Amino acid sequence: MDMKEVMKNHFLSLDEASRNPDRKVAWCTSVGPAEILRAMDFEVYFPENHGALLGATRTTEKTIPLADSRGYSQDICSYLRSDIGAYLQGFTPLERAYGIKSVPKPDVLVYCTNQCKDVMHWFEFFSRQYQAPIFGIHPPTNLPEIQQSHIRDVTDQYKELILFLEEITHSKIKPDRLAQAVKLSKEATDLWADVLGLCRNSPSPFDFFDATISMGPIVVLRGTEIAKDFYQKLYSEITAQIARQGSDNQERFRLYWDGMPVWGRLRSLSGLFDNHHASIVASTYCNSWIFSDFNPEKPLESMALAYLKIFINRNDHYKEEYILNIIEEFNIDGVVFHNAKTCPNNTNIHYNLPNRLRSKGIKSVVIDGDLNDLRCFSDEQSANRIEAFLEILE
Amino acid sequence: MSDDYYWGIDLGSSAIKVVLITSKGEIINKSKGKTLFPLIKQVRNLLNSSDFPESPFSEPASDTDEQIKINHFIASTGYGRNHIPFTHNKLTEIKAHFLGIQFLYKNESDFSLIDIGGQDSKIIKIKDHQILDFVINRKCAAGTGAFLDEICHRLDIRLKDLPSLATKHDKKLNLGSYCTVFAVQEMIKILVSGEKIENLAHALYTSITKRVLEITSIESGKVIFSGGVMQHHPILLNYFNDNLSEHELFLAKDAQFSGAFGAALSLT
Repeated sequence: MDMKEVMKNHFLSLDEASRNPDRKVAWCTSVGPAEILRAMDFEVYFPENHGALLGATRTTEKTIPLADSRGYSQDICSYLRSDIGAYLQGFTPLERAYGIKSVPKPDVLVYCTNQCKDVMHWFEFFSRQYQAPIFGIHPPTNLPEIQQSHIRDVTDQYKELILFLEEITHSKIKPDRLAQAVKLSKEATDLWADVLGLCRNSPSPFDFFDATISMGPIVVLRGTEIAKDFYQKLYSEITAQIARQGSDNQERFRLYWDGMPVWGRLRSLSGLFDNHHASIVASTYCNSWIFSDFNPEKPLESMALAYLKIFINRNDHYKEEYILNIIEEFNIDGVVFHNAKTCPNNTNIHYNLPNRLRSKGIKSVVIDGDLNDLRCFSDEQSANRIEAFLEILE
Repeated sequence: MSDDYYWGIDLGSSAIKVVLITSKGEIINKSKGKTLFPLIKQVRNLLNSSDFPESPFSEPASDTDEQIKINHFIASTGYGRNHIPFTHNKLTEIKAHFLGIQFLYKNESDFSLIDIGGQDSKIIKIKDHQILDFVINRKCAAGTGAFLDEICHRLDIRLKDLPSLATKHDKKLNLGSYCTVFAVQEMIKILVSGEKIENLAHALYTSITKRVLEITSIESGKVIFSGGVMQHHPILLNYFNDNLSEHELFLAKDAQFSGAFGAALSLT
């Protein structure tokens, strides 16, 4: 199946489950414990994915102000405001894409604050609207390294989640199903890592903007055969494409993107970098769905470790070392920092990281913008900064 | 054999600046006009003006098909740089100002360059005759020429009268806001309380200086200023001097044309 078909089937299945009393829908955060939900036969829906769709389809112009007018501050997550605004407006881009009139109604909402606490407020809004039960995982955050005590903490919270879900579903979790979901997630995420790793090649076979389009399944279909098969096929296709490529290498600059995508400007930013033969070959964002620690023999503990370990949940020292390693591994010339106004947790300029990297010889540029709120983004200013940065790299 | 001509066009938010140079970087002449639209028409008028020994166009120029003489070369910079179809090179203001200033100050290898333009301000750090880094002001116009324009408009005073007003101040007022709109509100409140306009003019220059220096820290050493705001308000150098006492400050000759000059130099 190609990407469009995979995503179409995903949403159609959710839509059917939403209307079928015999099936259950769980809402989950994008790096939340989806495997537990899969093991308990939930269809899993990810509001952040819907937020990204709203951004990419540039339909947030009405939805964000609507949420703002209901008291959600312009300084908080624009995914949240896009999505809540869309709900208030009775709008979803799924209708135009797939004929689906609304997002699936949740039977339960499960969030994890390993990315930020905005997801808690976001899910609580919908829990109130749909009168649906909600459960939050609150892991320790800003971690320098992962301790056993952290893993025990999160594992215990998963166990509480399972009891909570068993009460809702009136059925016990099947350990073999959980192990299977974790195994499938592990296989899919390893393949996703392999796909991203192909950008070590020069010229890079694809870039950050292509990757953001291809990452849907690793976000929304972890724990399924579909995601695994999709990335297996994608890996084969790109490998074949590399083999077909001649020696003509016009790649002048290899860059790293830190922070969220500017969803409504993927195409124009991609064109800008292409025009200068600059390729963004690695990113914090796409790498965030690499979970190497999944282990079906220790499903809960390994999930706890994998979801604690994500970049956004780590301290600044770890983040600096991580980016330095990627820069070396992918032979990167410079870093583009996206200062997403409404996503401070996924923005790494606030505590002087660009200057610390600069002291180690890594050049960077900061562009001001946002993931979904395009009022925070200036095309001219961003293009000017990026072009001036590329002139420096020349 | 005819001489080669190198044109630099800086399409800024307030003014279009044009500099014509020889292959050795000698300035033949320069000219400027307001940034009016359509941009292309304004640029063409400037290039065809009697300020220059000859036009770069070999045919009567049309909107769609400019023919550039074989010995003429054109580079554009500034926000409108991508909207001129007949250029041989395009470069950002960062690089253009650097090239222009570095040519004038050939012996300086390490310095900071501050360009205060119509809609943005930039601090460019130069090390070993190369751009090491640059920082541009954020989204607000405070600390730019647009800030001065807006405030003078609201106070109904002529921009050119601002320096002489500021020199007559007898009190130091402070404008705290980093937002132009909020700064206007502050000024109106101060005026309503009966404050002298001369003191406000002084506060205005103090504010713009602070906003520019807040962009980034400037290491000690030489600081060179370029851009239209500094050319038309050289008094600002005194204000910067008060804040950068450990530094040596210079205002570039023809500071408003530094970008256009640098663009022309990029062709040689």
